[in-house]
Amino acid sequence: MEKDFEPRIVYFMCKWCGTGGSETASAWHFSYPENVIPYRVYCTGSLSTVHILRALIEGADGVLISGCHPGDCHYNNGNFRARRKVALVKKMLEILGLEPERVWFRYVAHGEGKRFVDTATEFSEYIKKLGKNPIKERRET
Amino acid sequence: MKVNKLIIDFLLSLMEKKKIDAFLLPLKVPSGDYYTYVLTDEKELIEKGKPVPPVMPAGGARALQSLTRLGSLKRKTGIIMHPCQIKAVIELYKMKQVDLENLYLFSFDCPGVFPAEKYIKNPKETEKKFEEGNQNEIRELCKICDKFDMVYVDVYIGIKKENIYLTPKTEKGEEILKDFKLENQPEPEEIKKRRSEAKEKFIEDFEKEIKGPDALLSLFSKCINCHNCMRVCPVCYCRQCFFDSEAFDLSSENYLLRAKNKKALRFPADTLLFHLGRMSHMIFSCVNCGNCEDACPMDIPIGRIFTFMAEKIQKEFDYVPGRDPQERLPLVTYEEEELKWVEKPYTRILRR
Repeated sequence: MEKDFEPRIVYFMCKWCGTGGSETASAWHFSYPENVIPYRVYCTGSLSTVHILRALIEGADGVLISGCHPGDCHYNNGNFRARRKVALVKKMLEILGLEPERVWFRYVAHGEGKRFVDTATEFSEYIKKLGKNPIKERRET
Repeated sequence: MKVNKLIIDFLLSLMEKKKIDAFLLPLKVPSGDYYTYVLTDEKELIEKGKPVPPVMPAGGARALQSLTRLGSLKRKTGIIMHPCQIKAVIELYKMKQVDLENLYLFSFDCPGVFPAEKYIKNPKETEKKFEEGNQNEIRELCKICDKFDMVYVDVYIGIKKENIYLTPKTEKGEEILKDFKLENQPEPEEIKKRRSEAKEKFIEDFEKEIKGPDALLSLFSKCINCHNCMRVCPVCYCRQCFFDSEAFDLSSENYLLRAKNKKALRFPADTLLFHLGRMSHMIFSCVNCGNCEDACPMDIPIGRIFTFMAEKIQKEFDYVPGRDPQERLPLVTYEEEELKWVEKPYTRILRR
């Protein structure tokens, strides 16, 4: 493990709950690691599998996805669909031997600022221990 | 092959009885080095057709997408295709790309086909080998295909020892076959068992070739990003493909940054993303037809890669493409209580 390794983490969160969690966190003056890059998507269900794969191939060490809790989705079932997509990506990465544990899926509600910050921190520490993503530095992709 | 003649006679008798008005079936091109699907109601042309061709004509299922794009067919049309293409038709139906009204699907016990490359180079000799029933030189994918009879068709044509056995599988099929004398078809067990064993062995062996970043990247290292595999794929139906979209019109800064991150950037870029992305979009519907492998100019074993992945992933989600048109595609449906292993539990509450 390299000592000065700072992982790059892409955090996809949905417009309604995940982003709301980050707003609550800011209201409470919580902070999360600076190497976590937040991306707002309209619904985690609208996130394509390609976005996750592209992040992993083009430079992210890990990808986090946060949507609403089951039953809370603004569009009724977006989070359940997202769960299937993440399951597909994780299975694909597992079969291809590309470390599926670099993709995390955890529900964060609008009011759960602490949970949002903890998730970002925990994942960042986890990836730091895991090390660099092997395919992000391969030029022949 | 005698079987071809028998099937053609059967199709013509359907036309005579006014049960079907036109057929879409494989026909040799005039220059004699390939087969294509033709839509025709001319008796002479149907007589020349080859329902069981020695190569797989490209674009079978996609032909139906074009045919029914602006609404259902007005005349009864019979379609005779390889089982894998019929499965792709059913998948396209689920994606609302094909209208099954007035369409009659026919399929048969597939003996496998030869690689298109081999056929184009030497049509006469390959045709002779095919008619002799040569099973050693057929495509690698056909050697491991064991699901050729698990398909939703109206009429299934069993082939055994130069004889055909008709089986209706739907109400539509029963209606067509009302006046025909039906015999029970002997099970194609022997060939199925042999192919199942070959498939198990293939899945075991191929894992070494694909697992891990090094192996995976060396598989795709020859790719020239021509997107042929996508264009001939029967289930890749999108009119605007994401990989042809503006998402890949990138600024020079973007390329330079990526080149800096990776120390160097290979061109054409985004080949691995193309293959993995396409895989994640259509792997559930992959019918292992091998059109992609036939079309690849760089001899990448793309059909085998997708077959390997499809076998594993479809098993994981308990989905079989082409089994039932009422089944829903895994990515457009969900259950509330499932896939709990994906959710990362929140157990470590950090102190701050």
